[in-house]
Amino acid sequence: MATKPKPLQVGGLIAAVIALVVPMLIEIPDLSESGERILGVFLMAVVLWVTEAIPLFATAALIIFLEIVLISDQAIWGLPAGDPTTGYAAFFATLAHPVLMLFLGGFFLAEGANKYSLDRTMAKVLLRPFGSKPASIALGIMLITAVFSMFMSNTATTATMLAVVLPVIATLEPSDRFRAGLVLSVPIAANVGGIGTPVGTPPNAIAVGSLADAGIDISFAKWMGLAVPLMLILLVAAWQVIVRLFPTNQDQLEVAIEGDFDRSPSAWVLYAVFALTVGLWLTEPFHGITSSVVGFIPVVVLLGTGVFGSRDLQAMPWHVLWLVAGGIALGIGVTSSGLDQWIIAQVSWERLAAGVLAGALALTALLMSTVISNSAAANLLIPIGLTLALSPAVDVDPVAAGFFIAVGASLAMALPVSTPPNAIAYSAGTISTRDLAIVGAIVGVIGWLLFVFVGPVLWDLVGLELA
Amino acid sequence: MSDVFILVVEDEPEVRDAIARDLEPFTAVFRIEVAEDAADAREAMAELRSGGNEVAIVLADHLLPGEHGTDFLIALHQDPDTQAIRKVLITGQAGHEDTIRAINEANLNHYITKPWDAERLQSVVSDELTEWVIENAESVLPYVSVLDGPRLMDTLRNRPWKH
Repeated sequence: MATKPKPLQVGGLIAAVIALVVPMLIEIPDLSESGERILGVFLMAVVLWVTEAIPLFATAALIIFLEIVLISDQAIWGLPAGDPTTGYAAFFATLAHPVLMLFLGGFFLAEGANKYSLDRTMAKVLLRPFGSKPASIALGIMLITAVFSMFMSNTATTATMLAVVLPVIATLEPSDRFRAGLVLSVPIAANVGGIGTPVGTPPNAIAVGSLADAGIDISFAKWMGLAVPLMLILLVAAWQVIVRLFPTNQDQLEVAIEGDFDRSPSAWVLYAVFALTVGLWLTEPFHGITSSVVGFIPVVVLLGTGVFGSRDLQAMPWHVLWLVAGGIALGIGVTSSGLDQWIIAQVSWERLAAGVLAGALALTALLMSTVISNSAAANLLIPIGLTLALSPAVDVDPVAAGFFIAVGASLAMALPVSTPPNAIAYSAGTISTRDLAIVGAIVGVIGWLLFVFVGPVLWDLVGLELA
Repeated sequence: MSDVFILVVEDEPEVRDAIARDLEPFTAVFRIEVAEDAADAREAMAELRSGGNEVAIVLADHLLPGEHGTDFLIALHQDPDTQAIRKVLITGQAGHEDTIRAINEANLNHYITKPWDAERLQSVVSDELTEWVIENAESVLPYVSVLDGPRLMDTLRNRPWKH
């Protein structure tokens, strides 16, 4: 597939090469040779992930390769004696990092739910109690979307739920503002819902994986404990914003979802493994089986029982895993090359209050992710954020740093290009860029305030320790 | 930027205009090209394709001067370059034999009898274009607002990379 490169791509490639090479050519005070090399790789990653001169996952693969040939024990140009080197296998190993296995488990469950239309039939059942009032239907749609996107990709969830919503809005008058409101409710809820679990969206996996590499394990239940209560409050706030800004004069709406539970043996296998996996994820504090090990259960069971064949295995979005691996590898590079110490030394961080830094990280993630991929933003920010948080000089909890960056990335939803769910909803033609900008910005700001300021108070109240 | 075309092959100018008028709702995303006979249609297609454009659907009358519409559609089906195009016969005068040949040899996607009903025509063209988009378009998103949105969403659910 060789299409003609766009000017931004050509410019991006040239800038990427410059970003890679310059730090290696000039002498940077107090930075080791391997640190300079990783600084080059990091700056190149910034350029490539921002310009998307090559696909996001290709940049991830390139990072792993460059780290191996530049700073591992397989480095092509030898490093000065005394410079830290890392075994090259550690960089390859990021492609099978435990957190990716956790994510893969999520993919298997989501693919299975899709294959047997479990998502659609669940939506049908779950939406029933919400009745026929437009505002309560919107709430139902948003809650269901959010819950689905905690386990399925935000993109697939949006497509599933828009397939439900589009026929509903077709029954409304073209002038009815609620049409836009209902379409908007889906991507907003999918973006917000992704915050809820470690498998909800790739930035969460990058945070969990990088924290694990730093020796801090966050259980599935712990993440949910930190995220879900605030996520639900944000969702209700978003719902209120939407029903107020997009009122309707209809009193009743009808939602017709086709389909019934698949009762074939394969479908039962899926239901059982789904319940088992999610059950084990939620109860980790009681049995102690790590979530990534649990995540491999659906992989083994669905492949072993033949519910999934080689075609299903091939259809998994592997590129998402590779992108996450790139971020984790970047983190390893930053730590193992000593670049982290150099970064900390550059600024007198003591002047920053801990709360300010955590909030600033979330805000930076939010702003960056508004224009670039959420995963790419998390990939770039989490190594920096964790570096700062792990330094004794800076009084920020590493978990808070990782968590806030991941949350900030998910809160970016003000533009059609901010996230795939936004782009999909925008394509339906019923919402304007302005609608999305207003609602997306309001929800983003409320979410930021909620997580950064209310979050720590709430966690304190219920006795939830960060680390 | 390349465009995706709907090609109407009809020799009577008033009928041609009427079909094009009924296809107006699709012009937000697609462009309409008209031809008066098979030769004219081939020329138009060659020109469109050389400009990097694509033809998604051909609506052809059967009784055209020169080559019949059915034969034109069969030729389209036999050429690998044009095989993916959705083919609709819109006619009042195709005999039994021709109709059968169109189905068997041109892989005809739909048969519409004249006089046609505008709404019915639109729904057939919408279904066929949706099918074409699912099979051929790199992204389904540009088409969601004019074609079968829920079906395209379903496609996206199964093939999320098509966004």
